[in-house]
Amino acid sequence: MNEIVLLDKINKFYGDEVVVQVLFDIDLAIKGGQFTAFIGPSGSGKSTLLNIVGLLETPTSGAVFLDGQDISGMSKDELASYRNEKIGFIFQFHYLLPEFTALENILIPYWIGKGKPPEKVVSRAMYLMERIGIEMCSNKYPHQLSGGQQQRVAIARSLINRPKLLLADEPTGNLDSKTSNMVMELLREIVRVDKMNLVMVTHDRDIAAGVDRVIEIVDGRINNDSAVE
Amino acid sequence: MRFNTYEFMIACRFLMSGRSQTILIILGIAVGVAVQVFLISLMDGLQRNLIQRTIGSSPHITIAPPLSSPQPQGIGSGTIDDCQMPLKIEEGEILSWQRYNEYLEGTPGITVAAPMVNGNGYIEKGRSSFPVIIKGVTLPEADVIYKFKGNLVNGDIRPGGNNVLIGTASSEKSGLQVGDTFYLRNQKGTGDHFMIQGIFDLGSSAANNMVVMSLERAQAFLDVVGISAIEIQVQDVFAADNLAERLRGAFSRIKVESWQERNKELLSGLRSQDTSSAMIQFFVLLSITLGIASVLAIIAIQKSRQLGILKAMGTNDKGAARIFIIQGFSMGFAGALVGILLGLGLAELFMIGTKSSGGPTYELKITLTNILLPALLATAAASVAALVPARRAAGLNPMEVIRNE
Repeated sequence: MNEIVLLDKINKFYGDEVVVQVLFDIDLAIKGGQFTAFIGPSGSGKSTLLNIVGLLETPTSGAVFLDGQDISGMSKDELASYRNEKIGFIFQFHYLLPEFTALENILIPYWIGKGKPPEKVVSRAMYLMERIGIEMCSNKYPHQLSGGQQQRVAIARSLINRPKLLLADEPTGNLDSKTSNMVMELLREIVRVDKMNLVMVTHDRDIAAGVDRVIEIVDGRINNDSAVE
Repeated sequence: MRFNTYEFMIACRFLMSGRSQTILIILGIAVGVAVQVFLISLMDGLQRNLIQRTIGSSPHITIAPPLSSPQPQGIGSGTIDDCQMPLKIEEGEILSWQRYNEYLEGTPGITVAAPMVNGNGYIEKGRSSFPVIIKGVTLPEADVIYKFKGNLVNGDIRPGGNNVLIGTASSEKSGLQVGDTFYLRNQKGTGDHFMIQGIFDLGSSAANNMVVMSLERAQAFLDVVGISAIEIQVQDVFAADNLAERLRGAFSRIKVESWQERNKELLSGLRSQDTSSAMIQFFVLLSITLGIASVLAIIAIQKSRQLGILKAMGTNDKGAARIFIIQGFSMGFAGALVGILLGLGLAELFMIGTKSSGGPTYELKITLTNILLPALLATAAASVAALVPARRAAGLNPMEVIRNE
């Protein structure tokens, strides 16, 4: 099985009194080494789908396989450590911890999983920063960085634990178009060079242009999938 | 519970990022701990001082005949079986006191057992007469209890023959000084001349009204054969009542009384003081706990964004909770340390203050327990207070934070 993500009849309901269904019987297989984009209007359920893939939310019904592993039976703690080891997250907002420098922020996922990072890991963090072009920011705090720099620190952070899967929820949603293009170029490069599996959510078709596969989600259903066209 | 180093680092940065808030709460804890250290030391010192004053120069346990006022009269006789020892006892006198003394001196916990003869008498001077208490003692035993040597104002200590020691009160009343000879009359009207060898000040007017002579001389003077009491000093003053109880079991025919029984009011006073100081401590701790709980609850809300992202990146619920327990513990610990220093400073100031104003000269009792107990309690209270925000942090769903943007 070379699918990195396999979703089997995923349904998601929200609410107790007023129950709203946001995802309807989603079946989806994503092959490894691809840049996939979920597109769709806001409220379509694309972010919920991404969060289910990212193990941040559990589906009401259906099964999730990541890298061939069924994660349905995992406990909360097991999910947390799976996220830590195998999944990198990039959000619309950088969500860097303001109390820590850029370098420290990049190292936090390693620290959470394995304790104080050894020299080798710090070097990798420095290498990532250099590659992304933010090496001069290493000792700066998030509030001292520009929006583009903050998002690039967040990208470096998502890569520190060498995840299997990178998930990005509107990674450019908060950036101007120039910075936005730069970040997209960087993400494409990461997929190409590192053979990374990247799933991104965006509402912007232009941003999704140039990715390997575009899956359009409307009203909780897959409306269009570039791979099956 | 396994702590991860990053939890310490995050807890530490969270505290540092709200520096003024952190410093305020640490100061709050410190003041609480300082008050407790000071209060406990003060109470402890005061109580020890009171007890020292009460029993410092008096026996811890007194063994006396059932009717303990001395009744110098003709020798009676009667054999009783007391502790399998044939002992003679007479109303008002212990006749076979040597046997009791031997037994008591061999009892563990007793430092000294001193036989005493007590009686009333009058110093006659010209046409006036001054009532005094006549005490016959053996040295050095009696000196362990009364510390005549240490409390000597004038003269020498070696009562023997017709040489006596008198207290400052009797000296002042009668105008007698060291070296003076005076006529001492007993209750029966007979008397003799005695010479003053030393004058002592035992700190209480009753004790300073004594005329102290050798046991044999007092027996002859008061016309008794036995003794009036055996006075006992023990190693642990607070165990005196237990020891007295044991002695009571061993001796059925004599009266055994501990200092605790003689000073019931003082002890109940001290006990209620203990209760009120425990209450103050409880409320100080309570306010520390509430203060920390509220500050950490605020931090937990302020940092929910960070907690959410940490959880998304793999921090589990227990880890998120530990970040707050560490914060509570750290603030408690830091507050306790500062509080100890503040408390000691306060104690030092108090001692300087009372010394310079000539006030009560009792010392604060600063012991390791008096310092560590409030510090430990405050640290524990702070950690417990952290459980509230810790639960909140553990229950936080990262999606709440990430979706809300």
